[in-house]
Amino acid sequence: MWYFRSPQIVFGEDSISFLSSLDVKRAAIITDRNLLHTDIPGLVQKALPPGTESMVLGDVSEEPPLSEMTAHLSRINEFAPDWFLAVGGGSAIDATKILFALYERPDLTVYDITPLVKLGLRKKSRLIAIPTTSGTGSECTWAAMLTVEGEKRKHELASPEIIPDYAILDPAFVVSLPLEQTRNTASDAIAHAVEAYGSTWRNPYSDAMAEKALELILGGIAGVMSGPRNLELRNQVHIGASMAGLAFSNSQIGLVHALGHALGGRFKTPHGKAVALFLPHVVAYNYDACPERYDRLNKIVPDQFRGGKLSNSLENVLGAIGQARSGREAGIDAREFEANLDNLVLLASESNGMMTNPKDAGSSDLRSLFMKAYAEEAP
Amino acid sequence: MEKLNSNAAYEDAGKNWEGAMTFVVQKDAAFDKDAYIYLDLYHGKCRDAKFSFAESELPVPEYKYSGPYTNWRKLINKEIDPIQGLLTGKFKLQGSMMKVMRFTKAAKEMVNTTAMVQTEF
Repeated sequence: MWYFRSPQIVFGEDSISFLSSLDVKRAAIITDRNLLHTDIPGLVQKALPPGTESMVLGDVSEEPPLSEMTAHLSRINEFAPDWFLAVGGGSAIDATKILFALYERPDLTVYDITPLVKLGLRKKSRLIAIPTTSGTGSECTWAAMLTVEGEKRKHELASPEIIPDYAILDPAFVVSLPLEQTRNTASDAIAHAVEAYGSTWRNPYSDAMAEKALELILGGIAGVMSGPRNLELRNQVHIGASMAGLAFSNSQIGLVHALGHALGGRFKTPHGKAVALFLPHVVAYNYDACPERYDRLNKIVPDQFRGGKLSNSLENVLGAIGQARSGREAGIDAREFEANLDNLVLLASESNGMMTNPKDAGSSDLRSLFMKAYAEEAP
Repeated sequence: MEKLNSNAAYEDAGKNWEGAMTFVVQKDAAFDKDAYIYLDLYHGKCRDAKFSFAESELPVPEYKYSGPYTNWRKLINKEIDPIQGLLTGKFKLQGSMMKVMRFTKAAKEMVNTTAMVQTEF
């Protein structure tokens, strides 16, 4: 027995206009700090039904800490929204999921947001996600990452009840995404599809999503990088990224994310860049646990990138889009890395990704993968 | 207890775990009484293990993992994943969720260990 869970997805050009069909009285629009002074919040407000009152909470920082989010809550409570609109990248969407849960249930702590606790949300409001990056998949998932000050770790919160009611995938919201973020978020999406496909919780639904996601993303990302204003290719990668989100949300992540979350939590490495360091190495490590599956994925890789094995193909893709291929290239100091290696291994070992990776990994395996990825050894 | 203490993968995954756990086997159509297995787990080792048909005879654990006998059979035969079992309502967990979610690999290794024990159902 298992589930396939998904928000209702509205996609394609002008899908933002869907907002006008909803019964919205008071909309809390929560967006990234770096989007506040762009036209994006205005586009969302304009698409809401006439007469809707809205508040824009626009100071969500990248990977916002818990204290920052709780500071927003009093403003939200005062406004009393009937809809939350998360507009932004993974950080804004994850923050909105957490704020939505805490607004609905003030008696909860963030640590109650686990799949093992029935939250009973949606008594006061509902949730829409409008991603402005193509990669985190957060608009489709049950996950929300949380940073807690002083802990230098990322908490992996999850609940089926924080899956948005609607995900709106409008390519106009990603066409201006800078190349660095395009590269990093696409890398994350590729990792989602590959990890979902190898997960021990994989299922026919997540497999279908992962295969199609990889086809769409790998078929479009090189074109997006060379022509970022290409709306058709942006749309293709945007849909692929959400499918990759659905794939892993319904089958779970693996070692790539366990390692990436540990590295990102300690060094503030952008998430997509962090997982890209590990992806080919983990695929090579896992290969003997699921060779047929990885070989099948490798057939989906476009000819221009395909190598002998999936790990080679992924290395080719990541290299072609200019992704950092070593810890040094990712801006991590070698001495700092070595000094923190024991802690990184510990953090990774406590990630949920350890549980569903196709091959069981112990601390020595984690250490070896960290070192390989840092040193840019061939996978 | 012996199998768990000789499982290097469990020792590694549970090296920071502190807390006793009771496995509660609930009676169902295939087994006619409740059974309790108490494990005192500390830093990747099992310091003590007790079995009883009366919960009151055992120390109070930090966690309780409960499910009907038939589901335990499926778990030991690896037909149910221990965490998916929780998420689908086949098993229930009492205790701090925040802590336990950081030790899912240890939980999996614990179940792998039970499968190493020769069992007749």
